[in-house]
Amino acid sequence: MLQAFAAAFRTPDLRRKLLFSLAIIAVYRLGAAVPGPGVSVEAINSCLEQAQAGSQRDVYSLVNLFSGGALLRLSIFALGIMPYITASIIVQLLVVVIPRFEQLKKEGQSGQQKLTQYTRYLTIALAVLQSTGIIALARSGQLFPGCQQEIIPSESIWTTVVLVIALTAGTAVIMWLGELLTEKGIGNGMSVLIFTSIAARIPAEGGSILQTRGGVVFAVVCAFALLIIGAVVYVEQAQRRIPVQYAKRMVGRRMYGGTSTYLPLKVNQAGVIPVIFASSLLYLPQLITQLQGDETGPVRQFFENYVIDQSNAVHVALYFGLIVFFTYFYVSITFNPEERADDMKRYGGFIPGIRPGRPTAEYLQYVLSRITLPGSIYLGIVAVLPNFFLSITQQGANQNFPFGGTAVLIMVGVGLETVKQIETQLNQRNYEGFLK
Amino acid sequence: MVELVLNVLLVLASVLLVVLILLHRGKGGGLSSMFGGAVSSQLSGSSVVEKNLNRLTVFTGFVWAICIVTLGILLKV
Repeated sequence: MLQAFAAAFRTPDLRRKLLFSLAIIAVYRLGAAVPGPGVSVEAINSCLEQAQAGSQRDVYSLVNLFSGGALLRLSIFALGIMPYITASIIVQLLVVVIPRFEQLKKEGQSGQQKLTQYTRYLTIALAVLQSTGIIALARSGQLFPGCQQEIIPSESIWTTVVLVIALTAGTAVIMWLGELLTEKGIGNGMSVLIFTSIAARIPAEGGSILQTRGGVVFAVVCAFALLIIGAVVYVEQAQRRIPVQYAKRMVGRRMYGGTSTYLPLKVNQAGVIPVIFASSLLYLPQLITQLQGDETGPVRQFFENYVIDQSNAVHVALYFGLIVFFTYFYVSITFNPEERADDMKRYGGFIPGIRPGRPTAEYLQYVLSRITLPGSIYLGIVAVLPNFFLSITQQGANQNFPFGGTAVLIMVGVGLETVKQIETQLNQRNYEGFLK
Repeated sequence: MVELVLNVLLVLASVLLVVLILLHRGKGGGLSSMFGGAVSSQLSGSSVVEKNLNRLTVFTGFVWAICIVTLGILLKV
């Protein structure tokens, strides 16, 4: 294992990629610690202490988790990558709805580029909205209910405007960091940044559990986390191997093909994306009601009681349903059975007992949709179950908490994917890998 | 006075930064590359434009960061 690490650092291009990724992560964490202009650090610190002592419900637990605790500190990277994630979900859903978007998607490379560009514009728009909302909350003292301190001491509107603009620029920077990481580093930028934020919170949260609840609860929570990690890895690696036979071909005087391989279909083809999407989508009503401002309206009450409250059965069911939906949605986007069947046909491959071409595509679709069902249900259960258990052992806990299902799922999933990517890079040079 | 100048500079830098970042080709980066699957790094030989844009963005980012840090120190003292 350690040898593999050493090998990774001995390979020059891999070393460059790893160091680049680490540098980006360092910049990201640094930005998360720098307070926004005009924000009083002292007031925030004392309010945070109060909030930790009292066990009130965290309004922004999810966003706070995804931004690595930067949100409640109102740092310049307060919004994290949430706006970008939300924007990509919206654009991808709109592809199904708006014909022009669908056309763009079918256009291939250039269309895809345009869609990405739309996503980026939408990200900035969402960032303006969200930063305005959060700063308005901080001004009215709702960010930390019960805390008397003035988080933003200056009363002038000018300070607010500057802060909103700075936070928006911060979000743009995060977006760019993510893109750079995807392009020149290891792994997918966005998920690596989410991973970093969640991992950054673990020591602090673990410490606070150990202090407030005692060793026994801490041990139980740790055991749970280990259990979830085991379960996630188990499903993440599971795959169905469909045998593929290649016909022999003569090219010139050489003989090609004639081998029999398999086409691996993963049980969880979608990875962690459905979980990220489902939890961000559940956050949307919160954003809308918060922008509306009216606190006692029936709509807001309804949302707060049923959708936002994480111990509510409606919330849990909704979350579960969304995960299942997004798993299918995402698999249907990333895996195209017809294309796969065409590829196989072109290279003279076929699945024994099934005709090449359309029947093969239908067969692949058939297998995939059946294999995805347990995969999606499993994903949902792993994300939702800790909700129940944690609410038994301690009040006010929720899945957004670093040891809960969502967080662990995301962390393990991203970790596995990234390590796999490093390994394929390593395999270009030598065969000793991380995963045996 | 210094504060005002810094504030104005910060706003300018922020707006410029957002515009510069939006000018970048979103190379199927981020989540959208998870989407749509095979948006491989196509013509990734970054052109001169992209290279200069990178340099300019980093420079603006530095100005932006320095503004924020100095403002923070000024307001705190």
